[in-house]
Amino acid sequence: MALTQREQRDLPPDDFATVPGAADPMVPLWHFARLKLRMLGNGFRGRPARVLSFAFGGVFGLYLAGMGFLLFAVTAVGDPQAWLLAASFGGTALVVGSVLLPLVWFGVDDTLDPARFALLPLPRWRLVSGLLMAALLGVPAAAVLIATAGLLIPAGAHGGGVGAVAQLLGIVAGLLLCLALARAVASAFASVLRSRRVRDLAWVLIACVAALLGPIQIAVVSAISQADWDRIATVARVLGWTPLSAAHTVGIEIAEGRPWAAVAKLAMTGAALAVTLGWWGRTIESAMAGAAAGTTTPTRVSRQGACAELLPRLLPWLPATAFGALVAREVRYWWRDARRRSSMIMIVVIGLFVPLLVTAGARGIPVHGDGVGFDFSLSQASTASPITVYLTMLFIAAFVTSMLTNQFGYDGTAYATHLTIGVRGRRELQARAVAYSVFMVPLLVVVGAVMAASQGSPAVAAATWGVLFAGYGCGLAVNMFVSVLAPYALPETSNPFATGSGQATAKSMLAVVGLLGAAAVSVPVLVAAALLGDAWPWLALPLGAGYGVAAATLGTYLAGDVLDRRAPELLATVTPNR
Amino acid sequence: MNVTEPGRQNALALRGLYKRFPTRIAVTGIDLDVPVGSFYGLLGPNGAGKTTTLSMAVGLLRPDAGVASVLGVDVWRDPVEAKRRLGVLPDNARLFDRLSGPELLAYTGLLRGMDPATVDQRAAELLDVLALTEAGRTLVVDYSAGMRKKIGLACALLHAPRLLVLDEPFEAVDPVSAALIRDILTRYVAGGGTVIFSSHVMAVVEGLCSHVAILDEGAIKAVGTLEDVRGGRPLEEVFVEVVGGRTATGEELSWL
Repeated sequence: MALTQREQRDLPPDDFATVPGAADPMVPLWHFARLKLRMLGNGFRGRPARVLSFAFGGVFGLYLAGMGFLLFAVTAVGDPQAWLLAASFGGTALVVGSVLLPLVWFGVDDTLDPARFALLPLPRWRLVSGLLMAALLGVPAAAVLIATAGLLIPAGAHGGGVGAVAQLLGIVAGLLLCLALARAVASAFASVLRSRRVRDLAWVLIACVAALLGPIQIAVVSAISQADWDRIATVARVLGWTPLSAAHTVGIEIAEGRPWAAVAKLAMTGAALAVTLGWWGRTIESAMAGAAAGTTTPTRVSRQGACAELLPRLLPWLPATAFGALVAREVRYWWRDARRRSSMIMIVVIGLFVPLLVTAGARGIPVHGDGVGFDFSLSQASTASPITVYLTMLFIAAFVTSMLTNQFGYDGTAYATHLTIGVRGRRELQARAVAYSVFMVPLLVVVGAVMAASQGSPAVAAATWGVLFAGYGCGLAVNMFVSVLAPYALPETSNPFATGSGQATAKSMLAVVGLLGAAAVSVPVLVAAALLGDAWPWLALPLGAGYGVAAATLGTYLAGDVLDRRAPELLATVTPNR
Repeated sequence: MNVTEPGRQNALALRGLYKRFPTRIAVTGIDLDVPVGSFYGLLGPNGAGKTTTLSMAVGLLRPDAGVASVLGVDVWRDPVEAKRRLGVLPDNARLFDRLSGPELLAYTGLLRGMDPATVDQRAAELLDVLALTEAGRTLVVDYSAGMRKKIGLACALLHAPRLLVLDEPFEAVDPVSAALIRDILTRYVAGGGTVIFSSHVMAVVEGLCSHVAILDEGAIKAVGTLEDVRGGRPLEEVFVEVVGGRTATGEELSWL
């Protein structure tokens, strides 16, 4: 029987009956939906913590969705141009976001990993549409749907029933496009990046690009905020004729009496969706084949002793003891583990960029940092007031330490090594703090210097260094606790962008908890800065650094005792699910 | 609690170990004595509770009830002292695999508080014997499955422990590496060490072990010296009988 694969797929189900009990290849789509719900449900069984984190994630998503809904809905009253701007830029942000966010921050929920379907006789398009169906059942999809539903209100108000119906079609098409894009991008990268080395490198490059997006966006926004509104509206109209926001501006075309344009925009979104799904379908097959084992390049055999190889030559002060070994391993891991390295690069870019932003804000250049994050929005209010500057520095320092929030999750089951050896909790946390500081203290020094240079005053450097080190020490202390008390498992898949199912939003909230905690602990330093006034720059460095060192020391001691008590439980938590 | 019997010390003694997971009871109260100098095989089908038992015995998983002691030291009450005498190869546990083989050995040795010179010397010797020297600076993450087991074993042996606890040391290992691991373990036991390992490869257990325990559904179903448990029959036959497996009669699957 010389049937090609293609022909076999097209055979009617009856012909498969020659093999008794062979599976019907026409799996109904709702099977995928049921499978996803079942896997989510089974994942919750007996894990109240996960239920809770999923619920928190849901509430957080609902909150964002509600804000989005209001933003869109409120444009029903007032200037119709506001509607155009909101729909066009909002839609563009959603589509661009669904391409980038899965890569850099949230990861793609891999409850239904395509690799798990590799052995099933599923035609490609059916697998793709089934996975898309499953993707619809999730917090992000629901949030986007609710937020964009806000567009129905201006569409109904200006375009009547026809406008609302057309906009509804647009909303559904836009949602599908967002989901398909997110999946396709993650799938494409998972399959392109076959070898571990290339994967690590690309992951880092993506992180760089993503870290630069914030600065670029702010520059663009501040540039157009100086331009006149009509020109921005033109940009919005142009964007409306691209797949980025065609779906979201359908209602506007109806309201302005151009039904043909609405049809054309829907068709454009449909075409974009088809292309995306086709792309996804092609990448999914290579993703299913799995990542090939990394090629082992012949490396030269070293002649020096094992200990000399472990301890980095750049850190000659490290002793050949348990503590030295812990620090050396952590330092190497911050560099060798792609997940850690890319996080660190993002931190460096943000850490260096924010001081410039603060200075720019102080000089009266209009800056609107909406939608980028807390650290940028702080600068909105910044007029050269020193306290505002200190507050921002405090947040930078605390933000820098937020990478430690899930430090044990990075280790995963490898942490078992420490447990079988019996490493003391205090020593472990101190070593981790020291290793991280090897990278971060120089960064903070540079941040302070950049701050001073941009304000043209050397005294500023001393003052900011004090605040930075105090905030950094407090951040270390708080995040040591968070990392010991609330670790979570990162999946061990070939997809570097995967996060565990239902955890994406909860995990970013933990970072926020660490951030706020660190800020709270370092309030005394701000008070001191405010009270001391002009004397602060002179006292900042000893006071701030002293406070930071004291906080970090105390934190590692206390959290270390907690770690000693609950190390086996911690190992169980960071172990990816069986 | 002193679980040492008079006159004869146990390298590992488990008393009433019990573990319950949210959805099922994994281990339902296990008593086991591993005499010093024995080569102990822990047999059981998948999901029998082998890994859970060994994890509780070495201090990786907190038991709900029961005591585990290594050479008379309670693992959960005096972990530091117990772990000093213990070498562990955890099953499918990722090692710190972004280190190279020599780095990983140095890390393990220094963490155990060993003298750097000793670490260097033993690491070089272990890498040489286990044929890992050629891997050079290749990171462990890029090792093959067999190489990974070997470097794991090297880490467990580095501090010359008196008891080795190995979870599935022969799983996914090629025949050449398996033979090497077997040789090293046999020599270790001949030198006075004690080994307990889990496996479901009957041939390996029959060829190596002095003692056997068969575990099923979280309880020990048969225990004793290899001869006692075997009773003159092939071990596989005894095993299938004890865990209640079925043999194909020829009636079913006739369409195959």
